[in-house]
Amino acid sequence: MKYLIPAFLFILLAKTSAAQQDLLSFDEHNKYIYYQVESMPGIAADTLAQRGLKYVKTFYAKTTFKTDNSGGIKGEGKFLVYGGISVLKHEQGEIAYQVNIEFKDQKYRFWLTGFVFTPYQRDRYGNFVPQQGVDIPMEQATAKLDKKDVDGYLDETGAFCKQFGDHLKTYLSKLPEPKKADIVKKVVTDNW
Amino acid sequence: MKKKILLLVLSVSAFSFAATAQDTIKTTGDAPLVISGSVDTYFKTDFSGKPNIPTSFANENNSISIGMVDLGLKKSVGNASFVGELSFGPRGQQQSIPNADPGLVTFPGTSTTGVGYSSYHIQNLYVSYNLTSALNVTAGYMSTFIGYEVISPAANFNYSTSYLFTNGPFQNAGFKATYTFSPAVSLMAGIFNDYWNAYQSGGKVNTFGAQLTVTPVKNWTAYLNVAAGDQSGTEFDLTTAYQITPAFKLGLNAADFTAGSGYGYKGGFSGVALYPQLAVSKVVTLGIRGEYFSSKAGAYLNAGPPPGESVTGITFTANVKAGPLTFIPEIRFDNSSKSDMFLDGSGNLTQGATQFLMAAVYAF
Repeated sequence: MKYLIPAFLFILLAKTSAAQQDLLSFDEHNKYIYYQVESMPGIAADTLAQRGLKYVKTFYAKTTFKTDNSGGIKGEGKFLVYGGISVLKHEQGEIAYQVNIEFKDQKYRFWLTGFVFTPYQRDRYGNFVPQQGVDIPMEQATAKLDKKDVDGYLDETGAFCKQFGDHLKTYLSKLPEPKKADIVKKVVTDNW
Repeated sequence: MKKKILLLVLSVSAFSFAATAQDTIKTTGDAPLVISGSVDTYFKTDFSGKPNIPTSFANENNSISIGMVDLGLKKSVGNASFVGELSFGPRGQQQSIPNADPGLVTFPGTSTTGVGYSSYHIQNLYVSYNLTSALNVTAGYMSTFIGYEVISPAANFNYSTSYLFTNGPFQNAGFKATYTFSPAVSLMAGIFNDYWNAYQSGGKVNTFGAQLTVTPVKNWTAYLNVAAGDQSGTEFDLTTAYQITPAFKLGLNAADFTAGSGYGYKGGFSGVALYPQLAVSKVVTLGIRGEYFSSKAGAYLNAGPPPGESVTGITFTANVKAGPLTFIPEIRFDNSSKSDMFLDGSGNLTQGATQFLMAAVYAF
């Protein structure tokens, strides 16, 4: 028992400090990238492309997307990053990103890159709003921001990318559900 | 007992896992209750040995003083949100926000008695609703839409304030609607109480307010403001800021105010202030505020030069950041058009006044 509690505390601590930024890599241009290739056995490229487009339009409605001739998807979006301890947590800024998704028969790949941080500041009305004109590529962020803050933002970036990829995979692998005919229960009142 | 402790540890662990997963990936939707604010304190001295410059806040001579504890709450659910912001301390009470019950104040020359100043401590108290993605309506008691500077020291670059800020509105109570035509253009129009800086109206809701926001180019935003009413007077205001480079920002505030006919006195003010700021490192930004402020002829009195006279002020300020804490050393030189505004070390009227202050502002 006396070892059990410290063990749980250790696990708790380890989990809390798990660095989601490890999910990110550097590409050949020394830019942060989240890159994944996934197999989708038995699903044709055009089906994957259709599902992919529906996925981004449904779940990332505020993100701008374009498709190319081969069904590939390119988009630009942003997500919020938070800071502070739980009760004082609020928007610290937003991170803009570029996303690319390409499809082939039975597989697809996607990557998120071009992460640019814009800090938020509190305005006169008590809202947190983007600080105009301050756009910091995440690769240069440690030169302009506290390292501890940057680590936190990279963790949140890694978590966002993982969430994007996990949801995309689930959505692409799912067969479309057949449309259920509306069944209206009818009651015949003539015979009773 | 051991089982209970074990259960507690397991519960905390499980909760922590779940909370981590939610917090780190939240991108949109309903935010939790947000608590934010600031705490500030300062030392200020006047070179003449007498408190001289009459702008808002940091008025004492040779004193380590406190500003305020500012506590803001914000919650959004769907299209609805509220903000409640309370402040405690001289800057956030009698130096900036209205008396909740004027009947409790003993005015000089009157027989009114009472316990003195009574305050609700409120900086912002409003509810807001997005009727569509482009149209928002807001009602309550809000920070004014006019001017460059604000009460919260965490939102100002300079710690001392300008004459334009001091003599303009701090808050307006009313109802406003904001329509966003495009990312570059939006328009706010609203109807506000007859007096600024008051929790209730004096019997009328007759101040019209509007703000046209334009973003001519990326990183440059301009606000064209007007507030007009019989009692509150009419103020036209231009507030703009341009982040010209990642390190250099230029702000400008120009305003003209004419006292309202319902106020009973003629007069007002006009002025302009320029705010160049240069970030010299990731923790140090240097800035200057250069202001010209002129009081119009008439019986209306401003906090500043007497009617028909003017004052110029140059303020050199640095912001030195240490995490959430900002140190603000500042030296300020004011010069009036006539020798009737400031006092020298012997107590004689003089044209110039100089002050130094060092403030520390913690924002969260």
